[in-house]
Amino acid sequence: SCSRAKDVTMPAKLPVNFFSTRSPVIDLFRGQLDYADQLRQDSEIVLYFFYAPWCGQSIAAREEIEHVASRLSDQVLFVAVNCWWNQGKCRKQKHFFYFPVIHLYHQSFGPIEYKGPMSAVYIEKFVRRVMTPLLYISSRSKLLDFLSNYEPGVVGFFEFNASPQPPGYLTFFTSALHSLKKDYLGTVRFGVVTDKRVAEEISLVHSGSVYLHRHANTSLIYPKDIMNFTAENICKWALENREMLIRWLRPHGGKSLLLNNELKKGPALLIFIPYNPLAEIHPLLDEITKVALEYHKCNKSQAAEADLQHVGDSDSPAFDSSVPDAHLKFSETFPIAKYPCCNTVVLPQWHSISRTHNVCELCVNQTLGVKPNKVHVPHCNFLEIEAALDSFYLQEHTFFQVISNTIECSNFLSFYSPFSYYTACCRTVNRHFLSFISSEKTIFQTPKVAFSSHGKKDNTQFSIPHIEDRNCFIPDLNISSMNITGLSCRTNKTLNLYLLDSNLFWIYAERLGASRSTHLKEFAAIVDLKEEVHYVLDQNQSLVGPTLENFIKNFSVLYSPLKRHLVDDPSVHFHEEHVVTEVTTSTFHQTVFLSAKNVLLLYYAQWCGFCASLNHIFIQLARLLPPDSFTVARIDVTRNDLPWEFMTDRLPTILFFPHQRKEQSVKFPEDFSVNLPNLLKFILHHSSLSSSEPCTKECLHKESVLQQGHISLLEREIQKLRSEISALHQAHDQLEAQLSEARREEQRLQQQKHTLEKQHKSLQLHSEQLQATYDQKNRELLEMAEKLQELADASENLLKENALLRILVASRGRKLQSKDEIEEPLQSEQTLSEDNDISLSIATAALEEKRIDNIDTVETEHSSGNRTE
Amino acid sequence: AGPGRAGAERACLCRRERVRAMFYHAYEHYLESAFPYDELRPLTCDGQDTWGSFSLTLIDALDTLLILGNVSEFQRVVNVLQEGVDFDIDVNASVFETNIRVVGGLLSAHLLSRKAGVEVEAGWPCSGPLLRMAEEAARKLLPAFQTPTGMPYGTVNLLHGVNPGETPVTCTAGIGTFIVEFATLSHLTGDPVFEDVARKALKALWKNRSDIGLVGNHIDVITAKWVAQDAGIGAGVDSYFEYLVKGAILLQDKELMSMFLEYNKAIKNYTKFDDWYLWVQMYKGTVSMPVFQSLEAYWPGLQSLIGDVDNAMRTFLNYYTVWKQFGGLPEFYNIPQGYTVDKREGYPLRPELIESAMYLYRATRDPTLLELGRDAVESIEKISKVDCGFATIKDLRDHRLDNRMESFFLAETIKYLYLLFDPDNFIHNDGSDFDVVVTAYGECVLSAGGYVFNTEAHPIDPAALHCCRKRREEQWEVEDLMREFYSQKKTKRFTLKRAPDHGEREDAKDPADASSEKAGEKRNSKKSSHSLLSCPSQSFNSKLAVLGQVFLDNT
Repeated sequence: SCSRAKDVTMPAKLPVNFFSTRSPVIDLFRGQLDYADQLRQDSEIVLYFFYAPWCGQSIAAREEIEHVASRLSDQVLFVAVNCWWNQGKCRKQKHFFYFPVIHLYHQSFGPIEYKGPMSAVYIEKFVRRVMTPLLYISSRSKLLDFLSNYEPGVVGFFEFNASPQPPGYLTFFTSALHSLKKDYLGTVRFGVVTDKRVAEEISLVHSGSVYLHRHANTSLIYPKDIMNFTAENICKWALENREMLIRWLRPHGGKSLLLNNELKKGPALLIFIPYNPLAEIHPLLDEITKVALEYHKCNKSQAAEADLQHVGDSDSPAFDSSVPDAHLKFSETFPIAKYPCCNTVVLPQWHSISRTHNVCELCVNQTLGVKPNKVHVPHCNFLEIEAALDSFYLQEHTFFQVISNTIECSNFLSFYSPFSYYTACCRTVNRHFLSFISSEKTIFQTPKVAFSSHGKKDNTQFSIPHIEDRNCFIPDLNISSMNITGLSCRTNKTLNLYLLDSNLFWIYAERLGASRSTHLKEFAAIVDLKEEVHYVLDQNQSLVGPTLENFIKNFSVLYSPLKRHLVDDPSVHFHEEHVVTEVTTSTFHQTVFLSAKNVLLLYYAQWCGFCASLNHIFIQLARLLPPDSFTVARIDVTRNDLPWEFMTDRLPTILFFPHQRKEQSVKFPEDFSVNLPNLLKFILHHSSLSSSEPCTKECLHKESVLQQGHISLLEREIQKLRSEISALHQAHDQLEAQLSEARREEQRLQQQKHTLEKQHKSLQLHSEQLQATYDQKNRELLEMAEKLQELADASENLLKENALLRILVASRGRKLQSKDEIEEPLQSEQTLSEDNDISLSIATAALEEKRIDNIDTVETEHSSGNRTE
Repeated sequence: AGPGRAGAERACLCRRERVRAMFYHAYEHYLESAFPYDELRPLTCDGQDTWGSFSLTLIDALDTLLILGNVSEFQRVVNVLQEGVDFDIDVNASVFETNIRVVGGLLSAHLLSRKAGVEVEAGWPCSGPLLRMAEEAARKLLPAFQTPTGMPYGTVNLLHGVNPGETPVTCTAGIGTFIVEFATLSHLTGDPVFEDVARKALKALWKNRSDIGLVGNHIDVITAKWVAQDAGIGAGVDSYFEYLVKGAILLQDKELMSMFLEYNKAIKNYTKFDDWYLWVQMYKGTVSMPVFQSLEAYWPGLQSLIGDVDNAMRTFLNYYTVWKQFGGLPEFYNIPQGYTVDKREGYPLRPELIESAMYLYRATRDPTLLELGRDAVESIEKISKVDCGFATIKDLRDHRLDNRMESFFLAETIKYLYLLFDPDNFIHNDGSDFDVVVTAYGECVLSAGGYVFNTEAHPIDPAALHCCRKRREEQWEVEDLMREFYSQKKTKRFTLKRAPDHGEREDAKDPADASSEKAGEKRNSKKSSHSLLSCPSQSFNSKLAVLGQVFLDNT
């Protein structure tokens, strides 16, 4: 074939429209960057969308950009530039490592790169921020609105009375734009106040001063005298000093350490809410903000309280009241503790997979003793609580005997002090911890102190509860009286608060155990990376302020009633027909511990190559073992969390839980190869079937059961052998068929051979005939050749004769000449010469005849030659 | 608003169908314009022989047909191949390529043929026409292994054996990429010669590693001298490491795994920088080329198979940025310069990054991996689709096309893309489904998942290796044990047979005793030696390691 085809190449296809021609987006698909720059002169705000036509992300973002453009096209110019085509100006001038890239220009200021989520609402929000980087704050209530936001706010005060362009205003405006460059999420908001009276609210007196509002710490005024008043500096100052009480986490999708860095700071509360950045109001967000502010409110600054009030009651007319008033109001609402000092005690559990807690509220009821003051929530002195605990443990059996869902309380006297007695109320608490709390509240309000208890009868051996951090200060544990206000400073388990948009990042919630079926994408979880645990706010409860507060409180108390959340794989359904039982977090206890069978459990993960290649061995094993006394089960530990004591650090791991001795599980030794005989030996060695006791009736029964099992096994074996036999039969039949086929083939071949032989013979005959004719022809040819030779000889003779004759003629001529000279002697020779003349004419005639003959033979020779050919 | 789960699933299925359409666009044009040549030339719409003369694209694409669910075409092609392919030809063939593409393709087609509804003969899977063809092809390669070192020549004449004057220089991968196919052949046919030569070659490489534990790029198979001393994980070496791991998984072989783990240590020590893997001098460990090669992108997938998912994901995310820059992976990418390397700007539609995405998606279900799949579909369709198929990208800088469609495009690239978007494919079977086959050697469980892909993406069912000759011996033992099971009085004490270990191990003690007591467990943990054939379970933070988030080790 054509060798030049090897060098055939084809240039890339020419670029075509990326956006439809009817789109509000101007599509410069030939990468006309120069034209794009020209277009920038026409509009105050321009958005450039640099794309590559082959790029999946560009294609996905196209729709979003179109959506934004359709909403803002009257104010913003949208220009899309193909920055891939190598003949285009854009490709030649710009060097991007990814696509699409979005650049925004506010007049000559830019480019401001947008790095947020490629979702229309987020892009639109950002474009709007670029359009109006400064919020005009016209009134006091608007100012309070502005400041109450969870995101940091910067306020500039500029008096426009004096001049249309007060000094520093432009710089401030630019700094607002500048901040969008640095902080693409737009967390720092910039506002401008023009009214002197409004500015006084935040004690700004001079035009040109800039104020950074903070909730938990004191607010700041830009130090003009230390730093130059430039856009960069203001922006830097705001970013450095801003307060992040609650942060949005928006992973950009590329490789990033964002979560790593944030979660390594300590336990984190992740709150997932659906968020629309364009929405006017965010009630849920406000509520969360309120909790966050209160959680962080340590030094009770006036401003913080003002905000708090504002957030909680934003349209209240009470806002005209001055700040100290608000403070006063707040103090009044501050709960005054009237309750005794209490401690929550979580009792150790018999098994940790149960979904219940044993929570007791242990309170010291002091008839004499420290009285709590108004400000501080009462807390127990450590010694007191320890003494109470001692007494409590001596009494505990009384609580453990009671298995009740109602709250059981009892009082007992202290061994150390006659003046105090303790009260303990215990009950079973399941995940719905909130109901517990609310019911408790009422109890605690009575002087009779509550206590809750739950226990199992047989758990006495485990009954020593652990007290963590003995030498630490025990914070107030009375849940009802503990307030979230300033909790972040009082607990040693400070939480960092984070928000995630569940429209974009719901996958993290799912990973932490959020239900997949829920329509309402709200979820909260506390993640402690260091301890490798996480807790989840029950999804059956709506995510509102109080539930969140309680969640935080429950986390903060010393003996936290929160239980490590175990993520369960909901996609697994129990299949009766599966020979290997699939175990999940929720069925683990049931299948392994409660079943009356020997259980062989395989820990595996789908992705682990060493596990997957063992599948067939476990299937074979499960088919082999009698199903009424053995379960072969497996659990995918990547999708199913288990209590610590059942975790394993390598996969695959094989555990055997013998019947009746489930707690004495055995591990299949790791350095042995996993195959059927080894597994069977392992099970045989550890199974409880073996017994050396003398035979009793029970034993006989067992024996018979065993034999029954054996029989059924043998029956199955027979079945298998039968099928094997049938397989062999099949093979036999097949062979038979093949054999007969082969025989038929042979016969056919034989027949063919015969016919071939016959053909051969006839051919031979034919060839003999041919040989004969050939010989004959050959002979004829030879004869011809001979004749030819003769002729040739004859002609040669003739030629010779001719020559002779010529000589004769010549000699006769000479003789004639001499005759004239000598007539007389010629006379005598006359007769001789006449004789000669006659003979000459005869020779000539013969020669002529021969010549014709000669031509004839040449012709015959030719034709015979043709035939032999 | 972000798409919901159902939306994501729909997108997934929609992309799966796009991949299917891509397959048929290329496949049908191959049949129409190029068959029976090895490959299609998509720009000139004709065919050419490249690696021999075996209708290579057809052999390579055969199991992809089944994965796409096209049973009837699979059956037709099986017949076509049986009639049309002849290995008694005077062709100089690459030992490596013939093994991975032809032997591997035929083996996997043989093992899948029952699933594809082909009427198999009675001895299946221990006999069958495709198996015989694979065996025949493999036997043609055996002369190459007759060297003093046991390392094979790179090229062999299918009719005459090794040509006189053949170069003894072979790349490392050309020596160490046989164990998966050859061990499978040996297990199925009962002839140990294949597995033996493959093992011998592997051991020879192991023996010739440098003092710092690295292997170079090319070696002289006669003298065992390293000719090219660049050590890395990419071109020339790649599938050697891959086959150590896959061989260990397929054969439950600790020795192979321990070799890999040693290499892995050296690779991490000397070549890994910031989750990239560079090229270093094999004796000194100094960086020789700070490049990333397209072929290296298989590494994250391999890591995920042995449970190193965190590192795999981090490296994958690095590689993905290169894709985003060009719409494909250049053969060489200079990492410090952030650009392609001269003369190595092509992208022949290689599968490696997509392969890794498929493995990692199994492990993490991270949507980022589906995003790579989306990008790959868009790029390949937008850039390389031509009227007659899909053309190799000659230069990623301007997307100029070349007149070639390699057979791995249909064998691997399309297959892995399809599998990425089809989580319910039978290939992903996690052991919940299986088939029972009765052979003359007894009953046999097959198709229980855990397929091991050879380096040309031909899946091998690991269960099939236990189906033939070996099955018989095991069966007697199992039957004895089962009899014991039902007898009331146990006469024997059962001790486990130690695994056939090639490497050195500690003194043998009765493991059944050791593990029965708590003390035994403690002893085990003190020893801290875990089975080589196991993965670490994933850490807590892996729950949140999706959408590009990576976590640094706590240690």
